[in-house]
Amino acid sequence: MVIAPDFDSRPIISFQSVWKRYANGTEALKDVSLAVPEGDFIFLVGPSGAGKSTMVRLLIREEKPTRGRILVDGINLGPLPRRKLPHFRRKVGLVFQDFKLLPRLTVYENVAFALRVLGESRDAIERLVGDALETVGLANKGAKYPRELSGGEQQRVAIARALVPGPRLIVADEPTGNLDPATAWEIMQLFLRINASGSTVVMATHNREIVDLLRRRVVAIEDGRIVRDDRSGTYHEDLATSALRA
Amino acid sequence: MRIWRHLLFALSSAWQSFWRHVPVTGAGVLSITLILILGGASLLLGHAFSQVLDGYKQRVSVISVSVADQTPLTTVEDFEDQLRLQPEVLSVRFVSKEEELRRFSEDPRNQQLIEQIQGNPVPAKIEVKVGRLGDVKKIDTLARHWRGADRTDPTDYQGDFITNMLRLSSWLTIAGFGMLAVLTVASIVIVMNTIRTAVYHRRQEIEVMKLVGATEWFVRGPFVLEGVLTGLIAASLALGLLMLAYRPFVERFQSELFFVPLTYDPRFVSVLGPDLLAAGVLLGAMGSYIGVRRFVRI
Ligand SMILES: Nc1ncnc2c1ncn2[C@@H]1O[C@H](COP(=O)(O)OP(=O)(O)OP(=O)(O)O)[C@@H](O)[C@H]1O
Ligand SMILES: [Mg+2]
Repeated sequence: MVIAPDFDSRPIISFQSVWKRYANGTEALKDVSLAVPEGDFIFLVGPSGAGKSTMVRLLIREEKPTRGRILVDGINLGPLPRRKLPHFRRKVGLVFQDFKLLPRLTVYENVAFALRVLGESRDAIERLVGDALETVGLANKGAKYPRELSGGEQQRVAIARALVPGPRLIVADEPTGNLDPATAWEIMQLFLRINASGSTVVMATHNREIVDLLRRRVVAIEDGRIVRDDRSGTYHEDLATSALRA
Repeated sequence: MRIWRHLLFALSSAWQSFWRHVPVTGAGVLSITLILILGGASLLLGHAFSQVLDGYKQRVSVISVSVADQTPLTTVEDFEDQLRLQPEVLSVRFVSKEEELRRFSEDPRNQQLIEQIQGNPVPAKIEVKVGRLGDVKKIDTLARHWRGADRTDPTDYQGDFITNMLRLSSWLTIAGFGMLAVLTVASIVIVMNTIRTAVYHRRQEIEVMKLVGATEWFVRGPFVLEGVLTGLIAASLALGLLMLAYRPFVERFQSELFFVPLTYDPRFVSVLGPDLLAAGVLLGAMGSYIGVRRFVRI
């Protein structure tokens, strides 16, 4: 008897009835359940204040859920002790709207920083950073400083830094928020390539054109609740399909 | 290997941070230097005073009992045995009338007196060396009740002097410890503040380290080293200044307060040196350790 491989047996991310209430009483997430299989590409969309960044913060255990469980790569984040956090965070590559590059370090050093922190050898760092800069298309800009780069290039550096330790999950919170449409599109292509090479990508975004164009999985949040989860969705609820349903 | 790389990272990072914010770290270093100088100077003074006190203590821990003339030798020997049985007594020595007279006349201050006296007016003595200064009183009481003791001047016990001496001695010890405690707390607070500023200046870097999964002590290490560096530099400065100032200070002190036999003791500096450096490192480490535990959380 042959058992068919079940790829959905263990999603890389799983939110199970997650509630999040901040210290000031704000209910940021209400009963959120979500499963992200390995290799997926998912957009988190929704109006400002809906709870997208809260989901990202919960994913990297910057915040703890008030109720419910969050599993990332099989690790239950709620009860994860503080001293195990660093090892967990290494599994996740993070990209933010404001890049978070260190201005005193060169492009190369910024990317290498993620490996130095892990105590990698100089040889390994040289090789891995070279590869990562190649992937994001900045192989010849290693000696430059962040301030000498355009916004799009700076975001590429940040992506290289997120990629360089080889995480299986990339989480990005509005990575194109500060970029013009053409640059945003380039950055998005980069994320698609990263996803194609096997990494799971979760991205919170306001970028309607791109979401509508790519037709990837879209999870829409409003006022802390998931209101929509489409396999190949659009930024707003598709008027055509809702008209068909009616 | 990995540990080695972490250490290198921490060292270079601490070094950079230290020199990048010299106005802040420099102020910290100077404050710690000042504190260490105060501490070192008070140790030097304390050392000098305790030398002086020890001299006095040596002298007054020997009580001499005057023996009345015509006391039979057996009575004296019985009393000596009785004294030797006391647990407080270290040694007992009999000084005959002749020996005492010789000692008396050897003192140049007594020359004029010696020419006027006839026969031997000085009594024989029993010299009792007592282990602890506080126990001298007991021997004095014992001697005063002994029938062989000279009626007019049985012992040379100086009760008030001893009491004052003991009081001064314990007071100095308390003051010394109090001062050291205050200085310790002050320097820890100063180092903590230096670290707080350093953490503030590096908050961006700390945030990135956190994002890429640095362990808490990886992030904290450079700050602790920076504190140690602060303490070490401060201690070197303090030591240098103390070494320069010690001799002139003692000479000045000797001419103005000639009755306190403060002496220049080069050995003490070589003892003080390593202690001071160790104190600097320790204070720096403690201040920055407490600092990072409070200000660096991942
Ligand atoms: N640290 C916090 N303390 C208290 N309330 C918070 C905190 N962070 C976020 N909130 C609140 O939680 C809700 C969700 O915020 P969140 O940042 O997740 O929204 P978002 O979807 O990322 O919005 P945006 O698109 O503007 O980034 C908002 O009402 C916000 O005010
Ligand atoms: Mg947000």
